Amino acid sequence: MIREFTLIDVFYLVAAIRWTLVLSVAAFAGGGAIGLVVAIMRVSAFAPLRWLAAAYVQLVQGTPLLCILFVFFFGLSIFGLPVQAWIAATLALSIYASAFLGEIWRGALQSIPKTQWEAGGALGLGFAEQLRYVIVPQAVRVSIPPTVGFLVQLVKNTSLAATIGFIELAREGQLTTASTFQPFTVYCTVAFLYFLLCFPLTQLSRALERKYNVVG
Amino acid sequence: MSLVEIRDVTKRFGSLTVLDGVSLDIDEGEIIAIIGRSGSGKSTLLRCINGLEPVQGGTITVGGVRVNDAKTDLKKLRQQVGIVFQSYNLFPHLSVARNITLAPTVVKNIAPAEARRIALDVLHRVGLEDKIDAYPQQLSGGQQQRVAIARSLAMQPKMMLFDEITSALDPELTGEVLKVIEDMARSGMTMALVTHEMAFARRIGTRVIFMHQGKIREQGPAAEILARPKTPELETFLNAVLH
Repeated sequence: MIREFTLIDVFYLVAAIRWTLVLSVAAFAGGGAIGLVVAIMRVSAFAPLRWLAAAYVQLVQGTPLLCILFVFFFGLSIFGLPVQAWIAATLALSIYASAFLGEIWRGALQSIPKTQWEAGGALGLGFAEQLRYVIVPQAVRVSIPPTVGFLVQLVKNTSLAATIGFIELAREGQLTTASTFQPFTVYCTVAFLYFLLCFPLTQLSRALERKYNVVG
Repeated sequence: MSLVEIRDVTKRFGSLTVLDGVSLDIDEGEIIAIIGRSGSGKSTLLRCINGLEPVQGGTITVGGVRVNDAKTDLKKLRQQVGIVFQSYNLFPHLSVARNITLAPTVVKNIAPAEARRIALDVLHRVGLEDKIDAYPQQLSGGQQQRVAIARSLAMQPKMMLFDEITSALDPELTGEVLKVIEDMARSGMTMALVTHEMAFARRIGTRVIFMHQGKIREQGPAAEILARPKTPELETFLNAVLH
């Protein structure tokens, strides 16, 4: 039965934003945790760890997120592991985010002059202590603007979870289209809602960049 | 046994030989001034002593412990030997107090209150107690370098290494840093310093080492070496820096 696209549909779409946000936060948390390990492996003194992390980043960055998503959703069920859409989506997005965050944070860690490592080492600090007390606190400043910038990509890419039936904003849009048959209006609304989520993040990223550039 | 024993040390950066069979003993209480042209290997020699640079041949021992040995705990060694760099290398995100107390609290597990007392003490020695809560970028170059010296002293090392620590400073600021070092010399601290300040080397150095092309070309008591160079290389060098 085809019905009109009305205000109630807009409310449903707005309500679906919460799942987009939940998925974004979960992926950022998971991706951040793995990404931190990747970044630290990339600056470690032990070459095989660096290679392993570099290979991981290359592999993930060289693979479409959609494929990673399908691998988790369809692939794992072949091995008799029933995977729910939200689990597959969270895992795939976490892995995707970990590669990009890992690279952003590696760059931030490497932007701290080698002399800071030396100064810490010369005082008897070990690798983990140099990272914790000397390098990371300085790298965080550098990494905040690009990290927030990447969040925009992550929020937008959660829409791919619609393809495996996870009901977030984009999937809600598909469902609304199916019942109202007004794809143009519906997807314009969906796009506008994504924009409302992402625009403040973009502005925040720009503002942080300016702030940290001024201070130096 | 000398505090530092360097035996036939060779250091290469790729195909470039920076240290070519260097041997040197440093006794407790000695103040060694290392002079020579840029690229003669003097800074590298200093950095090898606390293991900041790996060496390709020979041995270095400090207090009987081999530096260039995989089994050596470099963390322990570096608590014995402090180093101060040309570019200060203070931690810009930390206050002067925290710059100084970081290593004592983290590496030696000294309680924060006690560490702050140590910080005040070492800052007093470099004349900067009133800057304890300042941040590095609020200080002049000379003050930053004095904080860097204080930071090293807070670990109570047996020996201090100074790597051209006044080279990045304006001439009017070098005096305050050199004075700090003279005070330390008087207190009996063992020191090795790479320097371009010949008058200073003569005044406080118990021994002067002249390095040339990765080798120790000449060495001896400061006054004698600087007044009567035996090799043409040292003579040329002294003429170039003194005039």
